[in-house]
Amino acid sequence: MSGKPLLEQLMQALRCLPGVGPRSAQRMAFHLLERDREGGRHLARLLEASMERIGHCGRCRTLSEEAVCALCANPRRSDAQLCVVESPAEVAALEQATDFGGRYFVLGGRLSPLDGIGPREIGLDLLARRLSEEGTEELILATNPTVEGEATAHYIGQMARERGIRVTRIAHGVPLGGELEYVDGGTLSHAFAGRRDY
Amino acid sequence: MATDSLELRAAYILHRRAYSNTSLLIECMTPDQGRLPLIARGAMGRDSGGLQPFVPLLIRWSGRGEVKSLGAYERGAPPLSFSGERLFCGFYINELLLRLTRREDPQPSLYGLYEATLLQIAGAVSLEGLLRRFELRLLEELGYGLNLLLCDAHGEGCPVRADQWYGFDVESGPVSPAPRDGVRVSGRTLLALDGGGALDETVLREAKGLLRHVLRHYLGERPLKSRELFTRL
Repeated sequence: MSGKPLLEQLMQALRCLPGVGPRSAQRMAFHLLERDREGGRHLARLLEASMERIGHCGRCRTLSEEAVCALCANPRRSDAQLCVVESPAEVAALEQATDFGGRYFVLGGRLSPLDGIGPREIGLDLLARRLSEEGTEELILATNPTVEGEATAHYIGQMARERGIRVTRIAHGVPLGGELEYVDGGTLSHAFAGRRDY
Repeated sequence: MATDSLELRAAYILHRRAYSNTSLLIECMTPDQGRLPLIARGAMGRDSGGLQPFVPLLIRWSGRGEVKSLGAYERGAPPLSFSGERLFCGFYINELLLRLTRREDPQPSLYGLYEATLLQIAGAVSLEGLLRRFELRLLEELGYGLNLLLCDAHGEGCPVRADQWYGFDVESGPVSPAPRDGVRVSGRTLLALDGGGALDETVLREAKGLLRHVLRHYLGERPLKSRELFTRL
């Protein structure tokens, strides 16, 4: 261990959380030590256990304590639809916002060759196996509308089409409650090109 | 060293990645400063949509040291809309530039080549042909231009003949006789690559092998990751 006082080490360690700078780290450390030691102990135990026990689901790669996550194990969900997302947080977002009843596949990133991330690094060999073996009828591409997200969608779309699977892509457009005047040009042109019968 | 830019200058982003919580580290291609690393503070999430590869940008920057700060920026023209395979080609040429160029080495003609190639990718019929032409021109711009026409240039040298097979030495060019293993290329392909015309399938296949051989020499052992996008799992 380094010779630094524990308090300083604690504040330094708290800064590994997103959005936590030196001042917030200091407040957190003082709060736990002065006002909520039991909460701090509880947090420490849970952190320890989570880091040890939470891994990735062997089928969809989302975060899971079990070898197969609850969504993949649920027999009431349909195997016909498979939705591909970039991160576990997006599974949670879709589950809360939609009534989607199919399965998921979590990439844990996106194709970004310049960062050394190719098809294998985001688990596409596993996805290819699933597409070949399971009776997927529709593959829903829900990667983000960035250039890397588009490249990822295209690559996966080709994989699915080669296997005769219908491929759909989530729509991109004007946010609800938004006003056209303030929407950026790229989004607006996309929304306009993707208009639907009404 | 790159000086501050007070007026808006043309640039393309070759690559961007997250830097600390909310900032982006972007690697830009500019005409007068060459490849330039910039920090876009607070750009993550909020309007980072504009700061993407393949978007013609006008940017301003300031600061000391190697990595400067991005100031104001706006779109220079509508973004190049290419998708699918064309996007993969875009990543490929960006990776080549990142691997083969140095920072702050001004090369206006290289910027011109890059911009022209991006515009062509958007409408090209033969992406393969376009990539091979880009690779040849890139090598030239970097001072590694290939000799395609003179065989055994170290010795007496004789013009390449269309009906002959050659080996290829990265520094001196075609050698005869062609070795049994290693890279082999026909005189016809060498002549076609030197000319400006369209490249047929045979020429493209041989040119791909030839340029892979040459690029490996300059890139070293680590392969280009974007090549994986062109293979299927």
